[in-house]
Amino acid sequence: MQSHRRRPVRTHARGQHRMMRLLARIHADTQRIAILEQQLTNRHLLPQTILSGRLNVIQAICAALLVTQEIEAILRIVVREANTLFPGASGALLYLIDDKDEHLILRATNVGKPMPLIIRPGQGLSGRAFLAPRAMLVVGPEVESALEELDAEQIDALQQMIHPWPPTSALLAPLRIEGQRLGALVMYGSASAHLFLPRDLQFIQSISDLAAVAISARSQVARTAALQRDLDQTQTLHAEAQARLNAAQAQLLQSAKLAAVGELAASVAHEINNPLYAARNSLYLVEQDLPADAPQRPFLTIAQSELGRIARIITRMREFYRPARDELDTTPINELLEETIELVQTHLRHGQVGVQSAFDPAVGSIVAHADQLRQVFLNLMLNACDAMPDGGELQIRTEITAATEQHSNGLNVFVSDTGTGIDPEHLPHLFEPFYTTKPQGTGLGLAISAHIITQHGGFITVESSLGKGTTFRIFLPAT
Amino acid sequence: MAVPHILIVDNDPAAALVTQRGLQMLIGSEATIDLAHSAGAAWLSCVRGEVSLLIVDPGGTDRSTAALVKALHNERPNLPVLVLTAYDTPRLRNQMRNLGVKFYLAKPIDLPELHKIVTVAVG
Repeated sequence: MQSHRRRPVRTHARGQHRMMRLLARIHADTQRIAILEQQLTNRHLLPQTILSGRLNVIQAICAALLVTQEIEAILRIVVREANTLFPGASGALLYLIDDKDEHLILRATNVGKPMPLIIRPGQGLSGRAFLAPRAMLVVGPEVESALEELDAEQIDALQQMIHPWPPTSALLAPLRIEGQRLGALVMYGSASAHLFLPRDLQFIQSISDLAAVAISARSQVARTAALQRDLDQTQTLHAEAQARLNAAQAQLLQSAKLAAVGELAASVAHEINNPLYAARNSLYLVEQDLPADAPQRPFLTIAQSELGRIARIITRMREFYRPARDELDTTPINELLEETIELVQTHLRHGQVGVQSAFDPAVGSIVAHADQLRQVFLNLMLNACDAMPDGGELQIRTEITAATEQHSNGLNVFVSDTGTGIDPEHLPHLFEPFYTTKPQGTGLGLAISAHIITQHGGFITVESSLGKGTTFRIFLPAT
Repeated sequence: MAVPHILIVDNDPAAALVTQRGLQMLIGSEATIDLAHSAGAAWLSCVRGEVSLLIVDPGGTDRSTAALVKALHNERPNLPVLVLTAYDTPRLRNQMRNLGVKFYLAKPIDLPELHKIVTVAVG
């Protein structure tokens, strides 16, 4: 019995003990479950907090970039906010590619003033970021491998900016827009290789994309402004050139009118010379047979004197028509032609007329009236342009020429076009005053041109082929 | 020694007559001075060797006188030619110089001056 009673006591004690242990285990498990539940809750809550914070940062970047006009300011905002996105990172470095797409240049950091640092595309972390299609996370040996590609100077520059050194991880992102690579953003991790996580990639790419859009927009604005400046400058130059051309054309027309009057005067003077010569010398012959005291002699003297006066007037008319001696000067023909081409350059460009010049350096200077020769060249070039309404080629050529039976030694200037050509029926009349085939033409341009050249002792000839073009040749004697 | 023969070719009959009569008066019997009826007639006289000095006015629209000077330059380069023109231009001066003309005068010139030049030209 005793043993029978003892047995239940021991059994009960063991049961109580087991119960207590079980309760302790349940309590421990309950506590562990509570901790795990708390941890699970934290794990759910933490990314939401981080995400919310990062979203706020990106919104702040968007707002800042919208109102920022200068690229340098944009770069500073990007590196500063990138560092905010990734607390604990040891540095954010932003590179932009140069104008020739050959080198990445460090433009902004969040660790002070950027060191002078130039990286080739593909070289190091920033070079890889530049060529990468999207953001990358690199850690451990891959970081070491990339840094080994840099030279001592580049490493030294990075060491001065990034602490601690060397980094064990990095987030890389290209700055790209519509396939165009603009630069790269590199976030360096701290000593811990686990600072960055794959989920960070979308954030660094987002900030890089925002930066690329902002930089591209500002660059477009700057380019547009530069183009506008160029356009304004071109328009100003065009207006000036047009004004010079208009002035030259007005001068040409005025000269042509004066020349027409002058040509008429010269023609009259020439026709008067014969009767004047006959009249004066007839009086001289009469005078020889008159006695010294003849009453007619005073009247004969008056007649001779008045005829002498007519002769002087005629001489002055002819001198007026000729280039005045003091206006004649040593004139370099090739340079004068170049100046004239420059004068009509805009006109030719608008008419889609190209210019080819072949100047013989042996053609030096002649004594000539430079302004008048310029008028001749200008007139021929403008005529050539008119003959090429659909564009073409204007060729200006000079050469020296030896004496022939027709002329002394001198120089030739050829002005050729690839235009419509001149109808053969017009050719014999081209240099006649008031003869024109143009609806608005005065018919004086070629007449005065020929006259000017004649006054210089030279001549103009023309050869033309319908549908192929026309060549004017100006001969000027050497002086 | 033969008397020099001066031949005048001028399309203006009054000017031609004054030149002929005036020179004849000033030169007297030391030379005979005639008028050619045309450039062709002057050419024939020249090639026959009948002319000591040819006085021409090659200006104006009639080109025959200029052609005569050119032909003489080729065929009778030693024949003295005196240009006495009412159509003086640099181009004509150049052209005549290139054709070997050594005596060039512009009208209206006084007969005594013309006489001096003609005396030199005839030699």
